[in-house]
Amino acid sequence: MIVETDGMTETLERTRVSGQSRAEVIREICRHLAPFQTGERPITGDTVIAKDLTIDSLAIMDMVMELEDHFDISIPMNVVAEIHTVDQLADTIQKLCARR
Amino acid sequence: MKVLPTRNSTLALQRAGFACVPAMLDYAAKGETGVTFYNAKGEQLSALAWREIRERAQVVARKMIGAGFAPGERLLITADTWPGFFDAFFGAQYAGLLPVPVSIPVGIGGKDAYLDQLRRQFAASGAVAAVGLDDLAGYLADAAQEFPAVRLHGGMDVLYSLPEKPVDLRPLGADDLCYIQFSSGSTRNPHGVQITQRALMANLAGMVGPSGLGVVEGDRAVSWLPLYHDMGLIGFLMAPLSTQISIDYLTPRDFARRPMQWLNLIARNRGTISYSPSFGYDLAVRRGAAQVPADLDLACWRHAGIGGDMVRADVLERFAATFEPFGFNRKAFIPSYGMAEVCLAITFCPHDTGVRTDAVDRTALAEAQRAVPAADPGDDHKSRRFVICGRVLPGHRLEVRDSEGRVLPDRAVGRIFVSGPSIMPGYFGEPEASREVLSDGWLDTGDLGYMLDGEIVVTGRAKDLIIVNGRNVWPQDIEWAVEAKRVVKNGDAAAFSIDTGEGERVVVAVLARVSGDEARVTLARDVAGAVREAIAVDCDVALVPPTLGLPTTSSGKLSRARTKANYLAGLYAPKPAAA
Repeated sequence: MIVETDGMTETLERTRVSGQSRAEVIREICRHLAPFQTGERPITGDTVIAKDLTIDSLAIMDMVMELEDHFDISIPMNVVAEIHTVDQLADTIQKLCARR
Repeated sequence: MKVLPTRNSTLALQRAGFACVPAMLDYAAKGETGVTFYNAKGEQLSALAWREIRERAQVVARKMIGAGFAPGERLLITADTWPGFFDAFFGAQYAGLLPVPVSIPVGIGGKDAYLDQLRRQFAASGAVAAVGLDDLAGYLADAAQEFPAVRLHGGMDVLYSLPEKPVDLRPLGADDLCYIQFSSGSTRNPHGVQITQRALMANLAGMVGPSGLGVVEGDRAVSWLPLYHDMGLIGFLMAPLSTQISIDYLTPRDFARRPMQWLNLIARNRGTISYSPSFGYDLAVRRGAAQVPADLDLACWRHAGIGGDMVRADVLERFAATFEPFGFNRKAFIPSYGMAEVCLAITFCPHDTGVRTDAVDRTALAEAQRAVPAADPGDDHKSRRFVICGRVLPGHRLEVRDSEGRVLPDRAVGRIFVSGPSIMPGYFGEPEASREVLSDGWLDTGDLGYMLDGEIVVTGRAKDLIIVNGRNVWPQDIEWAVEAKRVVKNGDAAAFSIDTGEGERVVVAVLARVSGDEARVTLARDVAGAVREAIAVDCDVALVPPTLGLPTTSSGKLSRARTKANYLAGLYAPKPAAA
């Protein structure tokens, strides 16, 4: 029995509820973003998608579309308009997967 | 779900000639045709016969009248392609209110720019209510905060939940305005074109008549064009309504994601009329060609219209070559020309001729503003091809004038002026801006072109024209030269000139999709080289971070004026020293 609640159990808990592990969501996002990485800075949760990478708006739209298809969700346009970072995108996807 | 019929069973097709929008809908509502909404997977979302659209609109109208909205007040509507837009737009028509369709936000992190745009549109239109998609209710609330005149805002429920009172409808009539159209090129300082019922009816009569598309029984429209744009709203809502035909819709977003769905929908529902700017045909080739279903049959498509931007022959040729094996008829292309200030359309090419081009001598064009037939049309260095855009609609006039206002003969390039019953009375609440473009019943289109046997050939925007050492250079030529060399992708270059005090200097701003100093230097050198080779002018190259993008107008066209402003403001990286 797990007594302490550390970050890992929280993550696992979320995984179980949503049916999508955060690791998998992040992996899928990074798979799309990797070609647009610049310099030595790795893509992390804090990466601001439209600023830190060389990705243009059409490629962003493609990515969002493919992520929606992959996870079988639809991200509302107002939510998309407020996403800046990889973490925010992952949060959104996990939330929508949980509601599915 | 069943597909709405293409033909009405008993109602005779009346081709325009109505007094106003409510009269058009009253008549169409007697048949079974209507509009159907599809998603990116090609699945039917909902269908509304014109009869249902009218019934729902009248309920909404009684609610708005009952809530105390006064005749002529403005209702801002986020013009996504969904039934709510129809309820709000036609509801306003029956309530005597003026709809103000506005765009919807796109992309990641676009919230702030969208809110700015909404505020400018609230200010320019003086709207007293704003409705839209539920998802956008929060944005409408945010933007409306600064405008105490806005008495009602939110998702469509804010209209639906008003009590329906037993009031008389107040339909807009022949002498009234119809709606306010934010015109292209007006993102920063939006001008709302006043679309009057009378001008709209005149323009529709031309558009659907024999000199336009010649709509006949059996026609069916298919559209992904945004309803906040004149080509979407007038061309693919008002025009089909004025002829009681059915329309199948995709949202612009879904088209951009799945361009093939546009063609699938035409093939599946046997659509006959569909339009796009050149870039839509380009997108269908570039992103759709890999997933063409083997049984795609586009033989039904009799009018493939092109408008909304400079018509690009090369793009259309690629589209025809790709889809001819699937029944597409290249003679179905109908280049046309227009602007929101004339409602929508002013010239159409004749039917069944396809894209016709005129190849002219580059030197004479640049140095003498004369469109002299090219000696060797195949030589891209010496000749330049323009698409012929057809004759002016009946009852209208079109003139090409020089800077002194004299009407020019064939093949002399000048400013295009138009007059006739489709012309706007002016921009909403902006008498000065209106006076700048309207005089003695003539509209200064701001476009340049020349006449050829009674047809217009559009060569570019007057305000974008670059003059280097007395030579006229069209920015499109520079951009296309860079794109043709595959130095950058289509749409990734913007050319303009800056005044150096000793003359004009050409600047080409390109999206730099490369990293590392070396690659950037190479890119800048290649761009300058391509321009020198094709146009024989020297240019400075500004590398624009792809994340910043090139600025576009509210209708998605490249805004060279804003690119220039950004460049002068120092927003773009200076060119690498070695370039």
